[in-house]
Amino acid sequence: MAEARTIENQQPPLSAEASYPLGEAYDEMFARDGLTRDNYSVLHRRIRTLSAEALADRQRTLERSFLLQGITFTVYGAESATERIIPTDLFPRIIPAAEWATIEAGLIQRLRALNLFLGDIYGQQRILADGIVPRDLVLGAPSYRREMQHLFVAHGAYVNVCGSDLIRGVDGTFFVLEDNLRVPSGVSYMLANRDASRRTFPGTFRRAGVRPVERYPDLLLSTLKSMASDHRANPQIVVLTPGVYNSAYYEHAYLARLMGVPLVEGRDLVVHDNHVFMRTTTGLGRIDVIYRRVDDDFIDPLIFRRDSALGVAGLFNAYRAGNVAICNAPGAGVADDKAVYAYVPAIIKYYLGEDTILPGVKTFLCREPAQLSHVLANLDSLVVKAVGASGGYGMLVGPHASAAERSAFAEALKADPSNYIAQPTIQLSTAPCLIDGQIEPRHVDLRPFILSGETTVVTPGALTRVALKRGSLVVNSSQGGGSKDTWVLADEPGGGAP
Amino acid sequence: MMLARVADSLYWMGRYIERAEHLSRLAFVMLHAALDRTDAAARATRIALAAVGDPETGLPGRAVDSARRLVFDRDTGDSVFASLAQARENARQVRDQMTTETWERLNLLYLRFMEGTAQAAFEIDAAAALQDIIADLHLYMGAADATMSHGEGWRFMRAGVHSERAQLIARLLRVCFGEDAATAVDHITLMNLLRMACALEPYLRVYTADISARYILEFLIFDHEFPRSIRYCTAQLEEHLSQLSHGQGGRSEALRLAGRLNARLQYADIGEVASHGASALLAAVGEECAAIHAAIHETFVAYPLEMSLPA
Repeated sequence: MAEARTIENQQPPLSAEASYPLGEAYDEMFARDGLTRDNYSVLHRRIRTLSAEALADRQRTLERSFLLQGITFTVYGAESATERIIPTDLFPRIIPAAEWATIEAGLIQRLRALNLFLGDIYGQQRILADGIVPRDLVLGAPSYRREMQHLFVAHGAYVNVCGSDLIRGVDGTFFVLEDNLRVPSGVSYMLANRDASRRTFPGTFRRAGVRPVERYPDLLLSTLKSMASDHRANPQIVVLTPGVYNSAYYEHAYLARLMGVPLVEGRDLVVHDNHVFMRTTTGLGRIDVIYRRVDDDFIDPLIFRRDSALGVAGLFNAYRAGNVAICNAPGAGVADDKAVYAYVPAIIKYYLGEDTILPGVKTFLCREPAQLSHVLANLDSLVVKAVGASGGYGMLVGPHASAAERSAFAEALKADPSNYIAQPTIQLSTAPCLIDGQIEPRHVDLRPFILSGETTVVTPGALTRVALKRGSLVVNSSQGGGSKDTWVLADEPGGGAP
Repeated sequence: MMLARVADSLYWMGRYIERAEHLSRLAFVMLHAALDRTDAAARATRIALAAVGDPETGLPGRAVDSARRLVFDRDTGDSVFASLAQARENARQVRDQMTTETWERLNLLYLRFMEGTAQAAFEIDAAAALQDIIADLHLYMGAADATMSHGEGWRFMRAGVHSERAQLIARLLRVCFGEDAATAVDHITLMNLLRMACALEPYLRVYTADISARYILEFLIFDHEFPRSIRYCTAQLEEHLSQLSHGQGGRSEALRLAGRLNARLQYADIGEVASHGASALLAAVGEECAAIHAAIHETFVAYPLEMSLPA
């Protein structure tokens, strides 16, 4: 569809001054002076040519296509189960090439260091002996798996799929907020959103010069293949899902389909003589690599949780015997522990001798008495998180909480200080979103996906999560968040992309 | 190579899709017949309801109410909605095995029921709504045929379709011509029976407008070209199971039973059926189909593990 030179119509021109209030936060589209940032200029021009109805129309088409494709999660009610789509915004978030280069380098540096850290704490434990990271912090973490001690992991790649959460502070700097090293999800939304935005803004997409994300499935497949034992010529890869009732089931099926490998459940698997097999129509088929989308606790009832029916008995022994690779490795989660997070700059320095490229957020460890009293004195300006929780649960956003909520949290803090960390409240950056027919700023974060096996690669794109409630800083889909596509530009704007 | 659970889901998906189409057509013919102010209308309703195992053969209510129940009543196992929901649930289990084109056809139809648009259309123009549902199911079959590889997964799906179809047609014929036949058969009823089997036009091509019980039995049981005759279905079943049994060394109990049933129909004495009635044969078809169904499960899905562990 031709996008050029549509006559400007009744749509009030989108500008920073008018309907789009700029707050204290960094805005992805508008600079402080209200001018459009260069990376957004193509999109901004396009949006101004579209009427409110045209935008609403595109938004409806977008949502319909998600529903039709079955990109849904299931909400279980008393009587029936309803399938919902995760709200998806039609405006892409656009990242300039130079900023992406920093993000990419920072993420690779971080994951290299964290993999080295995991290899060390499950091996020699030099970093603990040298007192860089407190021994009890690591060995006492619930995500530490002593069963992993001294196990061989190919390429030292404990974390094969990483989905770090990045946020952008008031001055425009990107921070790593969280490393998700267990079973990070959301990559199917990165791909589905891209598919949608190519159709919503075809001309704009072409003109902007966006780097492709479509290679993710084949890069994931080669990453997984590189984890197979050397002597297996044509390794059998599978995706292990908890099943159709899991909220990320769509993603599991999607990745299996795009990689062309079987999607298995625990009940399809059998362990015999320390080898893992799946039940096929013609007997048992041997499996070499399992991309598991099941948490550590559930993969093997013999080793971890006994009441779990999601995994398969004997799997861990087969892993220990080197007959099957499990990706990500069990126990990798100890490196994304919220308390270990505070030590990541030290970890990078220790193993790589480098300064941290992507900073983390200043973190107060409540286990240290001095830091605890600072946290208690400043609860109204801090975000406090339970170390073991995720998904936006067990969290206090100080500035947005009531006095009663704060004092309740203070009691919990004093009762079990080592279970909590605190961070300054960061104004997440805002990006334009279509809200009830109006274009309004909403807070966003950024989840890029890093693959690491024989090599480490970052896909030039990401899942941008959106806090759809005005002013809210919580982007988790379980807490009413949505998502949008993320365009990483190939060249600087005006650099003459083909 | 295909997961046993996946093969099972594909097979069931085929069965449920076929059932949904059959039930939609029964409801459509019921409504169509009800337009005439004759006994044929009541008879058509009775045949349709008896064919889905509804014992209510005494005084059926208005045809449109029976049709509505047959299509939208989610709580009884035998309704279009329930079949679609089951088909889609199975499809979700094997989403990675289906092409997007195929999945979206089924999902779209299911969403129409879930969102209530199918129900709304039915209240405005019931017959048109049913035709749309049937056409959508054909689109689904067409998309599967045209976009999926005709390999193992597709064959399991088709085996499900044909095993369900053979049983449904056999049941329909038993209701009309079996020992405990629900009703006497007149010309209009025979026409409606052919419509319920989606066979009217193909029948006319072969036998002209000479409509008789004998020819209908011959056509719907023994014809080797009409895709809804029982023999056509058993021939397809045998063909699919023969291909699927390669991994079993070319032999399996399911294949043996399907081959036997197909041979029985292929070499049956049509004259005997004509003179003595078809109930014995139709009853046997029903039982044999059930045995094949069980054997498929036993052969490909729930086989004992001890047999296949490596030494």
